[in-house]
Amino acid sequence: MTIFDIFTNQLLNGIVLGSFYALVALGYTMVFGVVKLLNFAHGELYMVGGFAGFLVLSFLAPFIGAGWFGVAVSMVFAMIAIGFLGVVIERVAYAPMLSAPRLSILITALAVSLVLQNGMLALTKGQYVPFGSALGFGGINLGKLFISYNQMILVSVAALLMLALEMFVSRTQYGRAMRAVAVDKDMSRLMGINVNAVIAVTFFLGSALAAAAGTMAGAFYGSLWYFMGFLIGLKAFTAAVIGGIGSIPGAMLGGLILGLLESFATQLDLRGMGIPFKVGSEWKDVFSFSVLILILVFKPTGLLGKSEQERM
Amino acid sequence: MRTVLKTAAGLALALALGAPAIAQDTLTIGIMVPTTGSEATYGQDMANAVNLAIGEINAAGGVLGKQLTSTIGDDGCDAQLAVNAASKLAASGVVGVVGGYCSGATIPTLKIYGDANIPLIIPAANSTKLIPENPGNAFMINSTGNDQVKKAIEYFNAKGVKSIAIINQGDAYSQDLADLSKKEWEAAGNTVTNFEVTNKGEQDYSAVVTSITSANPDAVFWTAYYADGGLLIRQLRERGYAGLIAVGDGSNSPELFKIAGPAAEGVIAFSNPTAEFLPEAKAFAEAYQAQFGAAPGPYSTLSYDAMKLLAWGINTAGTTDAAKVIETLQGANFTETISGPISFTPEKTLARSNFVVLEGKGGAWTLAQF
Repeated sequence: MTIFDIFTNQLLNGIVLGSFYALVALGYTMVFGVVKLLNFAHGELYMVGGFAGFLVLSFLAPFIGAGWFGVAVSMVFAMIAIGFLGVVIERVAYAPMLSAPRLSILITALAVSLVLQNGMLALTKGQYVPFGSALGFGGINLGKLFISYNQMILVSVAALLMLALEMFVSRTQYGRAMRAVAVDKDMSRLMGINVNAVIAVTFFLGSALAAAAGTMAGAFYGSLWYFMGFLIGLKAFTAAVIGGIGSIPGAMLGGLILGLLESFATQLDLRGMGIPFKVGSEWKDVFSFSVLILILVFKPTGLLGKSEQERM
Repeated sequence: MRTVLKTAAGLALALALGAPAIAQDTLTIGIMVPTTGSEATYGQDMANAVNLAIGEINAAGGVLGKQLTSTIGDDGCDAQLAVNAASKLAASGVVGVVGGYCSGATIPTLKIYGDANIPLIIPAANSTKLIPENPGNAFMINSTGNDQVKKAIEYFNAKGVKSIAIINQGDAYSQDLADLSKKEWEAAGNTVTNFEVTNKGEQDYSAVVTSITSANPDAVFWTAYYADGGLLIRQLRERGYAGLIAVGDGSNSPELFKIAGPAAEGVIAFSNPTAEFLPEAKAFAEAYQAQFGAAPGPYSTLSYDAMKLLAWGINTAGTTDAAKVIETLQGANFTETISGPISFTPEKTLARSNFVVLEGKGGAWTLAQF
């Protein structure tokens, strides 16, 4: 492979990985935008979403197959189920705490995360669960670059979901209400907006997106694990902050940047160009997170983040 | 009234004296394995095998005329959990411990068992990093990383492999195996095209896969555990890597085939001898199947042998006194095993290598011919 081939391959890897980060980051950013809560249980919703998608697929596979159509249908069911789970979590664990000190609700979020994680540990006995999908290995070759159909479908679905969310927030009445609540909750209530309903919708959408990412990850990578939400939750949170937490386009951009940084840092070797600089997978995280620190140093509100009052 | 009080006092006294007397009729063996977390499958297999051995020992009259019981400490393949598990076992008066699967989790427990003066037989953990940490009470009955690397290089040479990519997860076990492989492989005049480290629990290996396929080595050697290894193998094959894929003994699990699917066909594993490949283990495998309703796992035979060795050590020493038991074990030439005779080097590691080469065929491991 030439340097150009490696570049295009890693670009593709970064976009695929970034799509997952972006989908999960959106939930973080929406919830933070509307209720100023760092929902640390969000990564776990991705994990539970993967299991929910798998469960639906195992029921539906005899009727509609376990190819991309079956996975897509299961994904929709998982999104609805996990969307409601998100609303239930908000009602039970967060709503009573919204006026309590910030720290209390942060700890509640951590507790919810542990409950979901350890609940799944108990249910699956810590075992890896193979995701019984039957996706093909086909794809197209563009020179030395092989793009699998799976990668194309995955990135397109992620892009469609994000586009739909953007349309919802910017074009619909509920979206306008969400933006209003993000700016000023009390004033929104005085203007006749049902703030509780808006918060519920926000949690529903964020959780549903996490479930979509979880189901697609299960189908794409082939297995599920109770701990799979931890690392991606952490990284998606980072992505949300990089993009400017509270900003929806920011979360998409942040996810993409983090995915690309990680991919390129795995194989960054400039020695062929006469520059004695090589990163490699051992230093991948050191490199990519150093770049993220730099971004935040120069742009503390994140790339697309605005001043304190103007969220969403 | 007085007699009633006297009787009551006498009864209380009898109970108070009686409790330890009952306890002394049995000897407790500690089992330290991961029964939760990513390595729980292996841990449960190991605990089952130890309990199977205990059942047989008890049926044959026990140890020093006493029956054995066991208590499990879950190390979760995690250094912190392992320290808790070891402290719990050490405090519960065990006469010996069989356990240690993940090297990274086993290392910090060595000092605890050493301080508590408890003989420890390690059936699985085999990082060479355990050797300098051993206070003198631990015996490793699995061949160490050094033996595995020798076997791996022997196999690669036989297959005409000249260049390899080595991938580990940065933990004590997989990094040790990776470093040793790199050193020995380069010392033999061959090339290591990639030396990669991945994070445990990451699902996406595409960047590393691109890095490997662009260097296109003859073989890829994954030195960590099966769960993430399965994902890597799948992604390597999906991206068209056609060379040899080999995995270390931590990935020798049937679970690998569940995760990697058809991509695991032809994958090579270096493994300690497992029950299905040992003619002597037939009776053991049948008894295990009958009692636990499943086939024995990859470390079951060694765990079974470890328990038999410990019982032999205590019986031969004629006491549960740790110093005497350790001295007896050091001089052991124990042949009543299913994985081959056990004797120890002065470093308390197994004197001979017991590694075999396995190949994935039709979703199961078979003995490889080369």
